[in-house]
Amino acid sequence: MNGRLEYWVKVPIGPIHPALEEPEKFIITLDGERIIHVDVKLGYNLRGLEWIAMRRNYIQILYLAERICGICSFSHNHTYSRAVEEMAGIQVPERAEYIRVIVGELERIHSHLLNLGVVGHTIGYDTVLHLSWLARERVMDILEAIGGNRVNYSVNMIGGVRRNIEEKHKRAILDMVKYYRNEVMPKIEEIFLYDPTVEARLRDAGVIPKRIAIEYSAQGPTARGSGVKKDVRYNEKLSVYPDLGVKPVTPKEFTGVVKGDVFDRMVVRVGELWQSMDTIERAIDQMPEGKIKAVPKDNALLFQLKKADGEGIGRYEAPRGELIHYVKGQKGKDVPAKWKMREPTFPNLFAIARALVGEQVADVPVAIASIDPCLSCTDRVAVIDANTGRKKILTEKDLLKLSIEKTRELNPEVKAKPEVIGVGCPRGGAL
Amino acid sequence: MNVDEFVKAFGERFPEAEIRVSENKMPHPKRRVWVEIHREKFHDAMGFIKELDPRAQFSIIIGMDAGDKLLAKYHMELFWEEGESISLIIGTSVPKDDPKLPTVTDVFPSALPYERENQEFLGFVFEGIPDPRRLFLPDDFPEGIYPLRLDETGIKPEMVKNAGHPYKIGGAKK
Repeated sequence: MNGRLEYWVKVPIGPIHPALEEPEKFIITLDGERIIHVDVKLGYNLRGLEWIAMRRNYIQILYLAERICGICSFSHNHTYSRAVEEMAGIQVPERAEYIRVIVGELERIHSHLLNLGVVGHTIGYDTVLHLSWLARERVMDILEAIGGNRVNYSVNMIGGVRRNIEEKHKRAILDMVKYYRNEVMPKIEEIFLYDPTVEARLRDAGVIPKRIAIEYSAQGPTARGSGVKKDVRYNEKLSVYPDLGVKPVTPKEFTGVVKGDVFDRMVVRVGELWQSMDTIERAIDQMPEGKIKAVPKDNALLFQLKKADGEGIGRYEAPRGELIHYVKGQKGKDVPAKWKMREPTFPNLFAIARALVGEQVADVPVAIASIDPCLSCTDRVAVIDANTGRKKILTEKDLLKLSIEKTRELNPEVKAKPEVIGVGCPRGGAL
Repeated sequence: MNVDEFVKAFGERFPEAEIRVSENKMPHPKRRVWVEIHREKFHDAMGFIKELDPRAQFSIIIGMDAGDKLLAKYHMELFWEEGESISLIIGTSVPKDDPKLPTVTDVFPSALPYERENQEFLGFVFEGIPDPRRLFLPDDFPEGIYPLRLDETGIKPEMVKNAGHPYKIGGAKK
């Protein structure tokens, strides 16, 4: 002993933790208050989507892809459609491309408003959460009017879109943009750009330097907040986006400095809200008339896809960053040989885990919230529960049985019989 | 550097690689570069890409079960600072009885989580991977089962529970 006492503490954050919206696990090694190592464990939300998709045809996967994540349900389904279109060589009508742009940007608005609220919540500023989520209702209503649902609006179809944007939708969207411009955005800018308390809390917290953002391939606002000028819509020359003048937004245009901290990421999101509104207005202006689907009948489309044999990549800038889907077809089957996707949260999580090293433990919740993690997206692959050795994984039925036994053990006087409720827990007469 | 220059530079350095440029249909054409290369040369090729563009962005590893071999395709985005970027898919394959691939984490550190993912789901062996632990699968998941394989090491039918239509699970009897 040289008299210097040194000890490290390992603190698990997650899988279920008040600071996290979704299950994930960070094992944080601390030296006092300083973080010296962050380890990420994923898989608490695995639903086996790729495995399920081995048993679905092209059109069924469209709806499965949408259910990867509720918030970016348009993005997944859009990117998957693009991959299939590239694989099969389907040409999308121009009007459909514009409708995709409009719905995609509406989704970006609702996702960014959601994240602004969440970051407000993690720093204890709950008024921001309530008010930004209240403002978000307006865009959710528009999405419901277009697609029929608040989430999972199923707007896309391979080779086009399923829902048209009519005059009444256009009017409602323009009204919404006006409302956001005049009433919501000034308040949001007031909070996230000019409020001294918010700035004091978010400045220099969770810094991702530009070098780390590039090395760890961070995506979306996380990368752009560190001054990495990339945006798939711009870099990929994706569909009609170049005509609409979409460019990567970095904090430099707003505040003049790029530090790569939580504050900068929020500045990027505020900037993208403005950008999305401009894009929507321009798209509504330029939208041509015409067909919205390349192949109007679904069975004809499936027949065409059956003959396709190739591979395609779809890329799109989802609200959180680059989303990429890969589809490989096989001749004579309406099931793809392979469907694989990668969500922006996946690289972002590892980038933030690296960037947290050296920071204070109190910055963990806000730093994690600032990348807008979407774990349902990230944990999409494999698996099914299994009996391993002596361990037994309990099913819903077993758990119910045990809980009923326990209730009887605690209070043998209970007269009431358990009722049969729900379709997921058929109990039978044995209990 | 644009697509043609890249294809020329890469083709000169690795003459044995198969290079194909795909172009999707009008009205919004996008070109992608697809490269197939032997696994012996794979690590060199990745190093060469890093030399060409030190800021190349690593996107994904697509692992696939193709009968008696496993395919791995890596997507990368190059020259994104110059406006339109190059979308590059570089693929290689390994036989199933010897599924070894060199790790590229020394070239692209962000490849680590993807390598861990493919290792547990498809049974690749990445030689020299700094952190071979599982990422997604639970620690008590049986060894030697690779969920996305299509052969007998994949998910067995008796492992599947509570799958299918919710109205048909378990409740039909009685």
